Amino acid sequence: MIPLHWYLWLSAVVFMVGVAGFLMRRNIIIMFMSIELMLNAVNISLVSFSRYLDDMRGQILVFFIIAVAAAEAAIGLGIIIALFRNKVTAHVDEANEMKG
Amino acid sequence: MTLNDLAPLIPLMVIAVSSVIIMLGIAFYRSRAFSGLLTLAGIAVAFITLFGVQGTRQVTSLLILDDYALFYIGLILAASFVVALLSSDYLEGRRENIEEFYILLLLSTLGSSVLAASTHFVSFFIGLEILSVSLYALIAYTRNELNIEAGVKYLVLAAASSAFLLFGIALLYGETGTMEFSRMSSGISAQGINKGMLLTGFALVLTGVGFKLAVAPFHMWTPDVYEGAPAPVTAFVATVSKGGVFALLLRYFIQVDMHAYPSLFGAVAFIAVASMFAGNLLALLQKNIKRILAYSSIAHLGYLLVAFLAGGVMRVTAVTFYLVAYFITTLGAFGVVTMLSGKERDADAVEDYQGLFRHRPWLALIFSAMLFSLAGIPLTAGFIGKFYIVAAGAGSALWLLVIMLVINSAIGLYYYLRIIVVLYAQPGHSEVSAVSSLPLTGSLVLVLLTVLLLWLGVYPEPLIEMIHRMTMRF
Amino acid sequence: MILIWLILIPLMGGLLAWLFSRGNDRLPRWISLIALIIDFILVLLLWMQYPERAGLTNRSWLVDINLEWIPRLGISFHLALDGLSLLLVMLTSFLGIMSVAASWTEIKERVGFFHFNLMWSLAGITGVFLSLDLFLFYFFWELMLVPMYFLIALWGHENRISAAVKFFLFTQLSGLLMLAAILGLYFVHARGTGIYTFDYTQLLGTTMGSTEGMLLMLGFLIAFVVKLPAVPFHTWLPDAHTEAPTAGSIILAGLLLKTGAYGLLRFAVPLFPHAALDFTPVAMALAVIGILYGAVLAFGQTDLKRLVAYTSVSHMGFVLLGIFAWNELALQGAVIQIICHGISTGALFIIVGALQERIHTRDMERMGGLWTSAPRMGGVGLLFGLASLGLPGLGNFVGEFLVLIGAYTVSIPMTAIAATGLVFATVYSLWMIQRTFFGPREVYLKVPDLNMREMTVMAFMVAVIVWIGLYPQPVINTAKGALNALQKNAGAMTSFGKISYPVSTGADRDTK
Repeated sequence: MIPLHWYLWLSAVVFMVGVAGFLMRRNIIIMFMSIELMLNAVNISLVSFSRYLDDMRGQILVFFIIAVAAAEAAIGLGIIIALFRNKVTAHVDEANEMKG
Repeated sequence: MTLNDLAPLIPLMVIAVSSVIIMLGIAFYRSRAFSGLLTLAGIAVAFITLFGVQGTRQVTSLLILDDYALFYIGLILAASFVVALLSSDYLEGRRENIEEFYILLLLSTLGSSVLAASTHFVSFFIGLEILSVSLYALIAYTRNELNIEAGVKYLVLAAASSAFLLFGIALLYGETGTMEFSRMSSGISAQGINKGMLLTGFALVLTGVGFKLAVAPFHMWTPDVYEGAPAPVTAFVATVSKGGVFALLLRYFIQVDMHAYPSLFGAVAFIAVASMFAGNLLALLQKNIKRILAYSSIAHLGYLLVAFLAGGVMRVTAVTFYLVAYFITTLGAFGVVTMLSGKERDADAVEDYQGLFRHRPWLALIFSAMLFSLAGIPLTAGFIGKFYIVAAGAGSALWLLVIMLVINSAIGLYYYLRIIVVLYAQPGHSEVSAVSSLPLTGSLVLVLLTVLLLWLGVYPEPLIEMIHRMTMRF
Repeated sequence: MILIWLILIPLMGGLLAWLFSRGNDRLPRWISLIALIIDFILVLLLWMQYPERAGLTNRSWLVDINLEWIPRLGISFHLALDGLSLLLVMLTSFLGIMSVAASWTEIKERVGFFHFNLMWSLAGITGVFLSLDLFLFYFFWELMLVPMYFLIALWGHENRISAAVKFFLFTQLSGLLMLAAILGLYFVHARGTGIYTFDYTQLLGTTMGSTEGMLLMLGFLIAFVVKLPAVPFHTWLPDAHTEAPTAGSIILAGLLLKTGAYGLLRFAVPLFPHAALDFTPVAMALAVIGILYGAVLAFGQTDLKRLVAYTSVSHMGFVLLGIFAWNELALQGAVIQIICHGISTGALFIIVGALQERIHTRDMERMGGLWTSAPRMGGVGLLFGLASLGLPGLGNFVGEFLVLIGAYTVSIPMTAIAATGLVFATVYSLWMIQRTFFGPREVYLKVPDLNMREMTVMAFMVAVIVWIGLYPQPVINTAKGALNALQKNAGAMTSFGKISYPVSTGADRDTK
């Protein structure tokens, strides 16, 4: 059996990739995808913990996360479309009316 | 598990059901007044059912409707009632199809209430997401440029912070083998715990929660979202969303005794001090009322954390009293902003308020009362709140934090006073101050809030007793 | 109940004055005046009933009212009156009447709101002098500042905003430190006895460690010396006094500064006698520095109002000296100095205000030779100038003299240096009078003299200062019981007060 920490390393690496993408990319769709990546990294670790602890609750949380992520994406894309209508861009740096 | 076991959840169900009723109602009959009335009725009914909650309060391992939760849910409901009243006149004429606003309002209220009752990471997560996902849409609701920008910023950062939070939850779950708050501490004291993993988990959870509470260093989104969101929504973000999260944070860290982890304690203390300074110092630089209030709310959360860090009997009472005072004050302040806002833009420039006392003396007085309360001047609820926090801090001998609080209070005074002076100065030339007449409901709400503010400032005893009774179990 | 009325009357008077101010400027003035006169009569009646006026009893509290307020935290609505508070409350309503009368024509805008603020700050000050619950005390302490802030910020002179903000920040920050100290004391007391209370009478005699006591005492002390003000916390004072409208200056100098002195007398020393004793050398040094520093800076001013403001720093130095000498003579001196400084400085501010109303400047360079056209103003100005320099026969002399005798028994060098302050006072007072009323005549050939209203105000103030100067015994008798009680509270635990030799005041002779 593959030891737990391998999964955790995988999860951590995927999470960091997500964080890096979130911080470095300026296109809002890509930033959104990076967040999905982070969530999926969480899912990996939850599932592996769940298996390791022999406890189903971790996996149930994963289902919730998947559902919520879908809802978030729906609303998020709605707002992004509204932004696009106003500015014809999906670039966050263009949304910079407010400063201070 | 019988249907009876779900009985304590009735208040939450009422809110959920009313949002569905409104959604269906809109399909048949589109009317702002109708949806608005349904919303108010739903919140009122939910509030009344709070008093009927009896018997076993724990509903599965996810939620508990104990007195503490009931108090916070009551507070949250009252605040969203006020926001619903304030927004009714504000929304008119800002965009077509304004009825859905109320569905979102009810849903986020529901999310916040769930947070106040959570005893489990799963309910925590679900409550938080119900709250945030509806907030994304609320913030961008009137769809002008600032709204959408604020919505995008909130969306991106909130989603990222949820991811951090979840990662923290995963780590804590992996280490302790449970997601229930009450069993967490025994899980922690079990053998073979990886301390580093545990602390990383706590830190990540704190990051996620800190983002929602807008405490430094996770506060960056706050001024933009406060400025960009429609004024009533800003009031909602500042009160309902923070109130629920704070209730949860308090419950969590009481059950998992935070004082057992010096590094965790230190981290929260750092957050408290950083929030106080960041909020107050940055507020000094602002020229926009909503941004000033945003920074001031960051500072106020810092003050709250001081009481939060204090142990002892006073902690829960102090935090809760302060939150009540903060709710009243913030709703009042943003209520004034809402009332003065024209259709083109919100009345958020400091110049818009110049000489307000001349043409709207009552509104100016109400606004001054709110600002005095934020500054913690006697006769207002804010004074008693601040006193209570300093008392809690002093009671646990957190002198350094208390001194920081004192210094920050003085810095804070400076910018509150600046606004107050503007209110009484010679009138300037601003189109916003020329709004023809003030809506009646809004005026009544503001008067009511002011009366409450002064009442709590002069005779806080009944509320203190009530809070004490409701939160005794902690 | 009468104590509650003493606070309620100005509060209600202020509200009424504001409510009836729509399009009517006279009504608020009359309402405030009448309310304050009622207040004054009430205090006077109290004083008449007070047997200690003639030195008959040694009872400490004359009137005492204690209601529950927030029992959960041990907070009560506890007001009480002894001889000391009686004198100060009397001073408050007296100067209140004077300040309303003095600003009768000066204030032309927002008259109702002005009187509202004036009355509320007077109510707050009265509350400070009467509270015996530390929470209540802090409540009033903060409450009196807000209306004062408005008085300066809205009706002040050129740089009013910055002066008001500076005043507010100084006093608030120090007030918050006091709050922390109050809470510290509250918890220390609870640790020792298990009783959570803010009641002054119960907190007296709390046992505490010496470092702890010193820190807590410093928390109180800083709040009080900022108000007093003592060097180096005085920087807000010249600005605030100079920029405030006349009524504001009278209240600031005559009353607000006195709350600091009162706080030291009532709270800082009796609650922490050990710490206060340890701190005595420093406090006395600060007092002496204040006396000299204020006098020297007063001499350097060309702005008349600023000059008077700096003399306050100097005079309040005597009060601080007297309080920390802590023997009966010095304390009596401090009390008399508190009252007389309130009246003489108030009168000087009224004169400066009257001058400014007439010639629109406070710059002494542009004054001179006013005596010829305004002899009455000159005469009164001269009288209060002389009072300020400590001329025998006027009240201030009695106060300063008693303080110096009292302090002499504690520290001879300090007393000697402080006495030189009197010389400086002579110089700046005479110089001030000379520059304004005598000297070469400037452009202002025709300055209208004091009118009936102003002369009436002045007549009252002159009467009081001369009366105290010639026959201070009633004041001494009134304060005696209270001061003895304070000394007993502090002295019971330390050698405090034993440094001094028992000196008989007139009061003893009266009773025996």
